[in-house]
Amino acid sequence: MPDDIAEVYRTTYAALVRFLYRKVWDIERAEDLAQEAFARALVHRPASLRGWLFVVAANMARDEARRAVRERHHLTLLRSAPPEQAPSSDDVVEAETERARVQAALEQLTPRDREVLLLWDAGLSYEAIAAHTGLARGAIGTTLARARRRLVSAFEEGRQGEHVARG
Amino acid sequence: MNMSHVDEGTLHAYLDGELGAEEAPGVAAHLTQCPACRARLEEERALIARADELLGLAAPPARAVPAFRPGDLKPLARLWWQVRWPLAWAATVLVALGVGMYVATPRVAPVASLADRVERGAAPVAAVPEPAAPAPLGRAPERRAARSEVPAAHPALPPRAAPHAAREDQPTARARADLAVQADSLAAVENASLERQETASAAAPPRAARLQAPPTAPVGYALFEGAPYVIERSPLDRDSARALLGADPYVVPDLAVRGIYRARVIGYSAVVVVEQALDSSRVVAVMTGRPASAQRSAVVVTGAERVDSVAAMATAGRLAPSARQDSIARARQAAAPRPTPAASHLQVEVRGPLSSDSLAALRRLVQPLRP
Repeated sequence: MPDDIAEVYRTTYAALVRFLYRKVWDIERAEDLAQEAFARALVHRPASLRGWLFVVAANMARDEARRAVRERHHLTLLRSAPPEQAPSSDDVVEAETERARVQAALEQLTPRDREVLLLWDAGLSYEAIAAHTGLARGAIGTTLARARRRLVSAFEEGRQGEHVARG
Repeated sequence: MNMSHVDEGTLHAYLDGELGAEEAPGVAAHLTQCPACRARLEEERALIARADELLGLAAPPARAVPAFRPGDLKPLARLWWQVRWPLAWAATVLVALGVGMYVATPRVAPVASLADRVERGAAPVAAVPEPAAPAPLGRAPERRAARSEVPAAHPALPPRAAPHAAREDQPTARARADLAVQADSLAAVENASLERQETASAAAPPRAARLQAPPTAPVGYALFEGAPYVIERSPLDRDSARALLGADPYVVPDLAVRGIYRARVIGYSAVVVVEQALDSSRVVAVMTGRPASAQRSAVVVTGAERVDSVAAMATAGRLAPSARQDSIARARQAAAPRPTPAASHLQVEVRGPLSSDSLAALRRLVQPLRP
């Protein structure tokens, strides 16, 4: 009996959006992709639904990233000025700055380390992460340790770098 | 045990509660004897907390909008057509399924609600009232969602909102009657158990100390004050739970421990769920959580009317969310802060589909699990 899809939807949707958001960095795209993953799950009825959703989501995000690179290339050809941002409060700016720092730090991780970290954060067990990534289960702890250390140090370096640049 | 020092990866697996039952005791034994490794353990614990915190900063913005939006004018045409057809088809099946199952079991609620949401385009999730009082643990996702302006707009909401909508759409007198009976009898049984517990004392060793392996390795989901959390597949032993939490998990004394599990809750670096049997067919879950950033913990007791597996805990949440939330609120008020010398930073919460008196009584009883 495959997992009850409504139950998985209820418990996993937010985690899947979060997982996707940290890949595409666009909440609407992340939601669209999460919905599409569930829509595909309804058709495919995979046996291990939760793990399957993350695999499909990761693949879609990868395609999405490739497409985004192409489109960005087009856009820069079409117009050189960035779109004007809506005025925002200090809090929003601050939160956005922090988010951007974490994004920059995450992007310094190797793809594999980042994937393992994001899957763990999405609530998958070591077992499930191992199945997803093809790593040995015993290697997950080491990978996570490295990913966490790298994330924290990259974040701190980024912040110090900004201070130096500013001051 | 004089094993060699514990490597970094093993420490992380240990702290994540992911070390196998064959490895964890050895590591725990080594840690008691090796100050150097203990110091490293604390460093790694802090690292994990910091990494979780950073990931929390990069959480997506809070969004109330669930899966499918009516009248969405954004250029989603391609996705809309891909998504809508399979879901519309599934909705038909689920509705048919749901009507049949609703009478038999309350588990149909999310099934019907998913279908319902698909049918109407989108459930007006923002209109669903917030619980009376947000719990510390429940607030965690909001805290992580980097200064979200609208607390009600957290993505965790849509899934939780679904049962409300479904229940309102399909009120069934019989289901409500069943619910009332179940809640009452549970409260009665539980009160009896508490009285029995006061009379029975030091004569027998506390049953809580005896760990019974669950017949199956349950996997399931339950509501953690609105925030979905995930019970991980493998049961923990007490040492792993202790290592995961950095403290003893809380239990209701004198109730048999059926199993210890790790749960993942956003904003918490560690959450341990201890399932305890009230009687042969009823289980409560005592949840002890350690917040990811602040050095605070919280304990939640969730009652369930018939728990064969942890999955049924979610059912308890669905049966009477409003009554349950009220009870929670009352229990929280009724429960005086209880100083725990070993861990004065711990917060204790009681919840479940029980009377507020019972919840408060359970809440006063929880104690750290001792070996």
